[in-house]
Amino acid sequence: MSATTRTVDAPAGTTTRARVRKGRSRPAGDRYAGLVEGWLRSHTLLVYAFLYIPIIVVVVFSFNGTTRRVTQWDGFSLRWYASVLADKTIQGFLFNSFFVAIWTAVISSIFGTMAALGLQRAPKWFQRPFEALTFVSIIVPEIVIALATLVFFSTSFDILNPIFGLKLAKGYHTIIAAHAIFNISLVMLLVRARLSGMDRTHVEASYDLYGTPWRTFWQITFPQLIPAIVAGFLLSFTFSFDDYVITTFVNGQGTTTLPLYVFSTIRKGVTPATNAVAAIMLLITLTILVVGQLVVARNARRTGSRGRDATMASMLAEQSA
Amino acid sequence: MASLTEAAPAPAGADRPRRSFRSGALTALLLAPASLWYLLLLVAPLGIIVLFSFGERGKNGGYAGGFTLDNYAGALERNGPFVTSLLMAFGGTILCLLLALPLAYFIATRGGSKKSLLIVLLVVPFWTSFLIRTYAWLTILGPEGIAGFIGDATGNPSFRILGTPFAILLGVVYGYLPLMIFPIYVTMERMDRTLMEASKDLGAGRWATFRQITLPITLPGLITGSILVFIPLMGEYVVPAILGYSRVFLIGNQLVLQFLEARDWPQGAAKAVVLILIMLVSIIFYIWFSNRGRKVREVSVL
Amino acid sequence: MADQDLDQMLRRMAQTKVSRRGFLWASGLSASAAVLAACGPGSSSSASPAATTAPSVSAGTGGSASASPSAAAAVEVEKDLFMYNWGDYVDPENIEAFKQQFGVETFTYDTYASNEEMMAKFQGGAKGQWDLVAPTAEFVPAMVEQGFIQKIDWSKIPNAKYIEAPFKGLWWDPKDEYQLPKDWGTTGISVRTKVVKEEVKTWKQFFEVAPKYSGRIVIVDSPGDVFVAPLKALGYSLNSVDPTELGKARELLMGLAPHVLALDSDQYNTKIETEEAVLGLTWTGGILELRDKPETADVQYYIPEDGTLFWLDTWAIPAEPPHPEAAHAFLNFIQEPEVQAKETMTNQYATCNSEAKKFIDPAMLNDPAIFVPDDVLAKLEGAQDVSTDPLRLQIWEEFKSNIG
Repeated sequence: MSATTRTVDAPAGTTTRARVRKGRSRPAGDRYAGLVEGWLRSHTLLVYAFLYIPIIVVVVFSFNGTTRRVTQWDGFSLRWYASVLADKTIQGFLFNSFFVAIWTAVISSIFGTMAALGLQRAPKWFQRPFEALTFVSIIVPEIVIALATLVFFSTSFDILNPIFGLKLAKGYHTIIAAHAIFNISLVMLLVRARLSGMDRTHVEASYDLYGTPWRTFWQITFPQLIPAIVAGFLLSFTFSFDDYVITTFVNGQGTTTLPLYVFSTIRKGVTPATNAVAAIMLLITLTILVVGQLVVARNARRTGSRGRDATMASMLAEQSA
Repeated sequence: MASLTEAAPAPAGADRPRRSFRSGALTALLLAPASLWYLLLLVAPLGIIVLFSFGERGKNGGYAGGFTLDNYAGALERNGPFVTSLLMAFGGTILCLLLALPLAYFIATRGGSKKSLLIVLLVVPFWTSFLIRTYAWLTILGPEGIAGFIGDATGNPSFRILGTPFAILLGVVYGYLPLMIFPIYVTMERMDRTLMEASKDLGAGRWATFRQITLPITLPGLITGSILVFIPLMGEYVVPAILGYSRVFLIGNQLVLQFLEARDWPQGAAKAVVLILIMLVSIIFYIWFSNRGRKVREVSVL
Repeated sequence: MADQDLDQMLRRMAQTKVSRRGFLWASGLSASAAVLAACGPGSSSSASPAATTAPSVSAGTGGSASASPSAAAAVEVEKDLFMYNWGDYVDPENIEAFKQQFGVETFTYDTYASNEEMMAKFQGGAKGQWDLVAPTAEFVPAMVEQGFIQKIDWSKIPNAKYIEAPFKGLWWDPKDEYQLPKDWGTTGISVRTKVVKEEVKTWKQFFEVAPKYSGRIVIVDSPGDVFVAPLKALGYSLNSVDPTELGKARELLMGLAPHVLALDSDQYNTKIETEEAVLGLTWTGGILELRDKPETADVQYYIPEDGTLFWLDTWAIPAEPPHPEAAHAFLNFIQEPEVQAKETMTNQYATCNSEAKKFIDPAMLNDPAIFVPDDVLAKLEGAQDVSTDPLRLQIWEEFKSNIG
C-alpha cells in the first residue's frame, strides 16, 4: 500500500487538510493489507540479505590474518588494513577506478538524459535508427566491443598523431569514453521509461500560466525525472567501477584499475588486502549515505516540506478533492 | 510530433517559424553529444567488426584484409553454446523479475528519504570488486559453507552446490538484479497513487488493481528491465566460469576462445555480428509485441 | 479554488526544489570529498599513480637485496620504467631496490591475466606504451614476427652469462636475440594421496584412474596444457598437430570429460585443499604450499614419467620502448644472482640462473617439483605455439562443452 496517502474515509467534498502519513494506511475493509505489507517487507529484507551476505563475508575475511589465501581463517588481524593504508599502489588503483567511474557516470547521466528528452522530439527517421543503436550498444558482447574499440583508438591515434603533431595515447579518457557508451544507453533507457506516458497536463498548465519552456522544464519536468537520472547515475558509476573486460583493452599505461589488479593476482591468490580495500570502500560510501541522510533530514526540518522527491502525483494526492 | 504550439496558446509575440527553428535546434542540441558518442565509439567500432568479419585471419592471428564469406558460414555451426546461453539468460531474467517486482514496489511506496536510502543501498554492494564478491560466494556455497553444512546434515558428503546450474543462476541474478530493479522502480515511483485509490473506491480487489492499474503503468519499466538483463546475460561467461566451475560452455566462452585463444578475429567478428543481429531482431519484436494495443503517447514533455 | 490549489502547489514545488538541490549539492560535495580522501597521501599528484603492485609494507626500505652495482649502472638511465607483466610476478622489494639503485622515480606495473590478453592488446595496438613485458616463451615467435618486441642489446646485460645452457638456443628464439629467461615450471599431476591410493605417476595412469574418482578431478583451463596429458599418454609429441594422433587424443579426452569437476586455472589448489577434487592436471602454483602444511601433507605433485610440458616465462622488450636504458638496466639487475634468488624464493618457480642457485634455500633446491633433476629434465618438452591449430581448437571446444 502507498505510504503517502490521505485517509480514505473522509467524506467526499470536505476540504480535509492533507496529511502525509508514513507507515501503513488501513482502508476500511482491506483484510489483507497487513498480510501483503508483511510479505513485501520480508521479501525486501530477504533480497537485501541476499545482496549483503557476500559483503559481510568479504568484510569478515578482511580481518583474516593469513598470509596468502583469503578463505583460510588464520586469526583476527588488522595487518591488511595497515598494508593497504601504507600501500600507495593499491590506493592508486582505487583512485583510478573512482576517477573513471565518476566521470563516466556524470557524462552518461547528462548526455543520456539530454538524448532521452531530445529523442521524443526527433523525427521518426532519426528515432528508429537511434533506438536501434541504443539496443546494439547493450547487445554487443563486451569482448567484441573492447577489441574493436581498441583497434579504433589505435588506428585513429596512429593516423591523427603524425598529421596534427599530437601525442594522443590511450589513457583515462579512452576508458571513460568506452564505458560511457553502455552507460549513456542505460541512462537514456531509464529516463525514457520514466518519460513514457508522463502526464503533459502539468506542462500545459504551466504554459497556461505563461511559464517559459525553460522554467517549465526545470520546475515541472525535471523534478519528475530525477529518480530516473539518479538511478542511471548510480548504475553507471557501479558498472564503470566494476568493469574488467573493456578496461583491460582500452586502458593505457599507468591506468590500471582495481578490477584489473584483482584479476591479475588470482593466479597467485587473492590476498585479504583486496578485501580490506573493499571494506574501506564500503565504509566511505556508507558514511556518505549517512551524511546525506542527515543533510536531507535537516533540510526537511528547515523548509518544512515533506517527501523530498515528491512527484507531481503524490503532491496532487496531498490535495483535497 | 506534437509541438507545444498546438496544445497551448502561443505566448504573445512568438513567431511560428522562429519557434520551430529554435525547437529543431534544441532537439539537435539535445541529441548531439550522445549521437557523437555513438558515432565514434559505437558505429566506428561496429564498422570495424563488420569489416573484420569479411576478412581473413592473419598468420599469427588478428586481422589481415581480404574478403570472404567463410567466416559467416562457420559462424552458424556449433550452436550448442547459443542454446545454453539462451536458457541461462531466460532463467536469469525471470528470476530477476520475480525478485525485483515486489522489491521495487515496496521501495516505491516508502517515504521520501527512505526511498533514496534504500535505492542507494541496492548498489553499494557492487562498489566492491566483482571478483571478490564472487569469490565470497565460493566460500559461502562451497564445501566449507552451505554445501558442507547440508552435506553433513543429510549424510551426503559429496553434496555440491557449486558447479551446478543453480549456482550459476544465483550468481547471475546476484549480479544483474539492480539492472532489473531500477527501471521497474523508476516507473512505479512515478505512478499516480490516486489511480489506485480510485480503483479501490470502485471496489476492485488488490490483485485486480495490481493487474489492471499498476502493471500496465509499469510495463515500460518491466520491458526495459528485461532487456537490460536478458541481453547482457547472453554474453555472460565469467560468473558461470567461477561459480559454475566452467562446466557450461556459453557463447561468451566461444567468443573469447575465438578472439583470444584462436586469435581468429574475423571468425569471432562474424559470430558476433550474427549474435547482434539475432538479438536486435528479437528485441525489436519483443518491444513491438509488448506495446501493441497500448497507446504509447510519444509526446514531448519539453 | 483550482487556482488557489495550483498556487499552493507551485509554491510548494519551489520549496521542494531548494531542498532537493541541497541534497544533491551536499551529496556531491561529500562524494568529491570521499574521492579525494580515497586518493591517499600523495598518490594523486602524478599522472601515473599506479606504481608497484603487491601490497608491500616494506615499501621504502629498499636495498634489502644487496645487489652489487654492475657495469651497466654507469649508463644514464631514464627516470621512469613502465612494466607490463602478470600480477604479483616481481618481488616488490626487488622493485624498490632497483628504483633506489638506478634512481628510477616512477615504476608503473600494469597487469594482464593471460598471454592471450597480452597478445590481443599488442595486436590491437600498443606501441610505445611499455618498456618490459613477460610473455611465455611460445608466444615470442609470434610477437617477433608481428614486430611487437625488439632485439635485446646484450652488451648492456652482462649478467645474462649466468643463464644455463638448456635454456638457450631453443626453438622460440634460436639465436637468443629477443628474450631473457625469467623462470620456468612444469605441468603435472596433483594428487591427494590419502584418498587416491593408486599410483598416478604417469599420464596413462591418470586416465585409467580418472573414472574411479568421477566428479573429483580438476583440470587447468588451458588447451596447451590439457593436450599434454593424452598425447604423452599415447607417446606422441605434446605439440602434435597430426590428425590421427589428435584423433586418438580426442578419444581419451572425451572419455575424461564427464568425470571432470571443473576447468580452473586459478583456484585448483583450493579445490584440492578442500578435497572437492582429489586428482588434478595442474601447475605447481599453490600445490607445494599445501604439501608443506601438516593438514594437507598428503598432497603430492608428480612430474609424469611418460613426459610432460615445461613452460618458460621470459622477459622481452616491446618495440619502441619509452625508456630503453632503464629496461636494459632492469633486465641486468634482475639477473644479479642475489636478486634472482630472491625472485625465485618469492615466486616459487625455478630459475634459469646458475649463480643464483647459490643463494637459494637448499630445501627448495632439493625439491624435485621445483628444481627438476636433470634426468627428468631431459624428458620434458617445450611448448610450441600450436594453440591456433583448427583441429586442436575444435577438440578443445568439444571437450569444454562436454565437461561434467
